[in-house]
Amino acid sequence: MAFGAATPTPAREPLVALRHVSKSYRAGTYALRDVSFEVGKGELVFLTGASGAGKTTLLRMLFAGERPSTGEVRVLGHDVARLRRRTIPALRRRVGVVFQDFELLPRMNVEENVRLALDVRGVPGREARARVFSALKQVGLHQWRHQDPRSLSGGEQQRVAIARALVGEPSLLLADEPTGNLDPALTIEIMDLIASVAARGTAVIVATHDLALVGRHGRRTLRLDAGRLAGDAALERVSV
Amino acid sequence: MRRALAIARYVLRAAARGLRASAASAAIAVIAMALALLLAGAFGIAIGNMAGVVERVGDRLTLSAYLTPEVDEAARTALAARAARIEGVQDVEAVSPEMALARFPERTGVSAAPVELVGENPLPASLEVRLRAGDRSPEQAERVRLALEGLPGVAEVSAGEDWVPGYTRALDFVRGAGLAIGLVLAVATLVIVASTIRLAYAARRDELRILALMGASRTTMRLPFLLEGLAQGACAGVLALLLLRLLFVLARPAVEASLAFLADSAAVRFFSPAEAVALVAGGALLGLLGAALSLAADRRA
Ligand SMILES: Nc1ncnc2c1ncn2[C@@H]1O[C@H](COP(=O)(O)OP(=O)(O)O)[C@@H](O)[C@H]1O
Ligand SMILES: [Mg+2]
Repeated sequence: MAFGAATPTPAREPLVALRHVSKSYRAGTYALRDVSFEVGKGELVFLTGASGAGKTTLLRMLFAGERPSTGEVRVLGHDVARLRRRTIPALRRRVGVVFQDFELLPRMNVEENVRLALDVRGVPGREARARVFSALKQVGLHQWRHQDPRSLSGGEQQRVAIARALVGEPSLLLADEPTGNLDPALTIEIMDLIASVAARGTAVIVATHDLALVGRHGRRTLRLDAGRLAGDAALERVSV
Repeated sequence: MRRALAIARYVLRAAARGLRASAASAAIAVIAMALALLLAGAFGIAIGNMAGVVERVGDRLTLSAYLTPEVDEAARTALAARAARIEGVQDVEAVSPEMALARFPERTGVSAAPVELVGENPLPASLEVRLRAGDRSPEQAERVRLALEGLPGVAEVSAGEDWVPGYTRALDFVRGAGLAIGLVLAVATLVIVASTIRLAYAARRDELRILALMGASRTTMRLPFLLEGLAQGACAGVLALLLLRLLFVLARPAVEASLAFLADSAAVRFFSPAEAVALVAGGALLGLLGAALSLAADRRA
């Protein structure tokens, strides 16, 4: 079994590069229209825009959950439009994803949920246990590893999901409205956690419609407006 | 290699977890499949024993070729030699009218006294033809009969044990019916597994979607379901075997008593170890196939 075999990434190729990307689910309407941008190693990028602006569609393309209608999407050296179905898992093992509704599995405890990400990568038992422990420690939940995730608070569940996304040591972390279901205090906590991931070299793209949250971090922000890229700049740092 | 082993371990764990999660439907499937395999197995045992009876009484299965009066002793011997070369014939005995008369009471249970009173022997000379062991079918007997009839000096050919052709035809019928029923039961087993795995698959759609997002390969996601089908089939096979053995032990005395008239050794036999293994392996294979069918029906996964 080939492990993550991909077109080797040229030395200075950005981790993510979109060139004139459009996506149309139905003829005549565009979820994304002529979007171009690049994201480099260790960058933290916010993706903002009203509901329906195309944030989720864009993130889905980055883990090959969707193909562009036209234009080029390159992720970690893969050309998403031309990716063969068999190669998709190899790309996804290098991309961590976090969703609004956590997507944890019932019938499995916290540890097993996180462990799943290593199971599908074929990481052997002893190593997997150690890595799961350290990922849970990183999000401060190692004491709860034998707990049923449903017994945890929303913020804790999202931290489990983040641990699961990070335990495979992805080069790219995608988060789609990760704080959409959380109250403000937890929102800040989770966002800080995600931001700290970028500080360790993983590129992070966070989709959110919460502008105040974005302003608090003062980082590069891509603004989508009805599928078009309406802005690509560092937002002013504002206090919340 | 280490990675493949780790994935294999994961697949086993996932299959076990899956079986536990749908234990009730898996148990029902196993019982239903076991009943199907039990029926198929019962047919197998019956057919095996019926065939055994034919083989055992086979050495009684002879053809008599009655010769015309013109055939003298030398010609009779020559004819016997020719008959012995017919395909499927084991041996041939030339019987003179005198020998026939001497055997008459033993063969028929009727006294030869009246014939002796008349003083003239009405019995023709004949060739007593035995069929080769292991190949004693009615078709074979018919082929040999036609060949014998083609010999010069043969007036008429009659088959020995009258009940044998009928019995063998019945055996053929049972064999055919058994095959047909076996096929139906195999299809039933397939459908049971396929729908059970289908349910398990639907119940775990969320899990599969998440696995796919984490980069699980198609194989990693599907193997647990194939294993679950295989395990259910194998369990059904073992259960069917145990039930068959139980029924066999219970039914054996009665069956043997009712068959005692056929042969001195009317021992009814169970599956040989190899056949027993084949039943379980067959169940496992059907389980695997059923699961594969069910997954193949889902093109998006
Ligand atoms: N699977 C889909 N099929 C059809 N239309 C879709 C699908 N996904 C999204 N859309 C449409 O694409 C547009 C962008 O949606 P989305 O990417 O979900 O935006 P956002 O995440 O910013 O709310 C919307 O108009 C939405 O209705
Ligand atoms: Mg969205």
